[in-house]
Amino acid sequence: MNLIDKLATWEDQISPGISACVGCNVELTLRTCMKVMGPNTIFAIPPGCMGGVGVVGWDKKSGAKTPVFFPLLDNVASMLAGIKLHYEHIGRDVNVVAFAGDGATVDAGMQCLSGAAERGDKIIYICYDNEGYMNTGYQRSGSTTKGAWTSTTPVNHSGQGGKRQNKKDFPLIMAMHDIPYMATMNPAYIPDMVRKLEKAKEIKTGLVYLHVYNPCVTGWGFQSDFSIEVSRLAVESNFAPLYEVENGKFKMSVEIRNPKPVKEFLSRFKKFSHLTDEDIQELQEWTDFKINRLKHLCTL
Amino acid sequence: MNTNQNRIVAISGNKSAAMGAALSRPDLIAAYPITPQSSVVESLAQMIAQGDLNSTMIQVESEHSAMSVVQGAAVAGGRTFTATSAQGLALMYEPYFRMSTLRLPMVMAIATREMTSPETVWSGQQDAVSVRDAGWIQVYVENNQEILDMIIQGYKIAEHPDVLLPVNVCYDGFYLSHLTERVEIPHQPAVDDFLGVYHADHVSLDPDTPMAVDPLTSGEILWRYRKGHLDAMQKALQVIEQTDDAFEQVFGRRYGGVIDTYKMDDADFVIVTMGATTGTAREAVDVARSLGMKIGLLKVRFLRPFPDKKIREILSGKQGFVVIDKNVCFGWNTGVLYMEIKAAISELGHPISSMPAIGGLGGADISVDQLVTCIQVLVKQGSQQPGQLDTYWFQ
Repeated sequence: MNLIDKLATWEDQISPGISACVGCNVELTLRTCMKVMGPNTIFAIPPGCMGGVGVVGWDKKSGAKTPVFFPLLDNVASMLAGIKLHYEHIGRDVNVVAFAGDGATVDAGMQCLSGAAERGDKIIYICYDNEGYMNTGYQRSGSTTKGAWTSTTPVNHSGQGGKRQNKKDFPLIMAMHDIPYMATMNPAYIPDMVRKLEKAKEIKTGLVYLHVYNPCVTGWGFQSDFSIEVSRLAVESNFAPLYEVENGKFKMSVEIRNPKPVKEFLSRFKKFSHLTDEDIQELQEWTDFKINRLKHLCTL
Repeated sequence: MNTNQNRIVAISGNKSAAMGAALSRPDLIAAYPITPQSSVVESLAQMIAQGDLNSTMIQVESEHSAMSVVQGAAVAGGRTFTATSAQGLALMYEPYFRMSTLRLPMVMAIATREMTSPETVWSGQQDAVSVRDAGWIQVYVENNQEILDMIIQGYKIAEHPDVLLPVNVCYDGFYLSHLTERVEIPHQPAVDDFLGVYHADHVSLDPDTPMAVDPLTSGEILWRYRKGHLDAMQKALQVIEQTDDAFEQVFGRRYGGVIDTYKMDDADFVIVTMGATTGTAREAVDVARSLGMKIGLLKVRFLRPFPDKKIREILSGKQGFVVIDKNVCFGWNTGVLYMEIKAAISELGHPISSMPAIGGLGGADISVDQLVTCIQVLVKQGSQQPGQLDTYWFQ
């Protein structure tokens, strides 16, 4: 079955009426992830955009068809580990899946996720990275890009401000846990996403970590019509490359032969509008350094 | 562990907790070390390794995760166990509060310990009493047999359909956790029969019966959850008594339900204790009586739900009482149990003298002699004036 047929045939696991922002590419990501994971799945959606838009059915009109739980911000992985262990204990094979934002993942919930990865708890952990605490008003997270305006790293009238530190390279951190499968995904590359999700479902030897790069319409400041276009630019500029790590082996999923300048990606967002040419040059060099390191890892 | 026959053994409080947990056959046990609890989970790990216990054990990376994994297993329908102390309990507070408010039954042992700062690892009750308003049932026990028995009873109470709340079995760190005592180990089949199989149907995460668990809940309906929780706590007072009766019928031991008393009938004054100090206080009562003081002992077993009616009945007509707290109640210049009892007797309608007493903090000992001296102060001052006496500090 080809991809279009699959997506047409598989049942949507989430109500059509959830209250995400217009043009939100996380909704598309969530819908795709839930569809591929299928009905034999237990989801945990912690506080964050997707917890807030009604996946857990808060308004009695929206919600999921699969069992879904609203875990704490900082216990997503450990809570799911307990669910999975109980199903293993009683001998039932059930997909146990997290769909968590970057705040719950790279900041508050990092300890328990690292513990679950080290122990090999058999859960699938999907992080939608929109670079901050978007549901509470666009505050900075450890996953926010350097220089970005956020509501807790404001920019003054002279154009000074923004986040002072580099973005935490969380996909690489998770890969270095030597888990059986780690992959990055992007809402502009749905076939790649579906393939990785299907592979994740087949892994029975430990934790799977999937990291989705999701530019945020409302928090980053761009028109909703361009939600997919700007997401694609993140890959085409090597800013958020698509790759996977299977049993320690790194592999690029999408090779970009002639990468676009990072400026082309950054200039699409209001949150970077105050950056100087020097700031942009620094981010270009940072991007170059990281893609070179990643490509080197792929040769090992 | 050979559980096919009734055995009498000499074991530590921690070993007794582990054996009580093992006899209750939890599906999942979370293990994380902290003094003075660590040997509870070590013992359970050993039993699983030897093939004597068919539970799944997960070695988590923190107490926050310990409470989270057992919460996950409980919401999936499993019976779970873990143990902690002090800073570990503080770290798990976030999922701890949620365990009770999700109405998920389980038993967690707390080898009680003083809270840092000053830095300490020794005994006290500050950890467990500080979470008294997090919705759990809390029982404080006197000896190692009571630890084992209350873990088994704990599951029976927790899983009762009128209750559905998690239970803490609290026992004094070091004074019980590391003390060796005679403990009778019940038959496994008898425990199996007593507890039955736990089946959760009020909440579940199961793809065969999809349920959204814990969506955002508005204040217009949230109060119903809290009222139901409070009602369950009140119903638990009855269930605790019934469980004690049922336990006695099978295992031959009873503890008096929510409270216990000693030499109370003709007593004019009462010493009130909670936990291992009770054993010392029994001796002190005997000594004080030999010196001519008409003193009785009230052992408060359950801090939550608080047995206010029973305590009111006991203290009604008495001249005065002293409450021995191995903890402090910040802002009140007393211990926590004293304030609870003060609230319970507020409707007595006649004056009664009372003395808050604080001791045993950070592992400090409270001896029989010290308790007798404390009783003498109570009798002397309490005979002269009703109302609250100055706080007595064991030094």
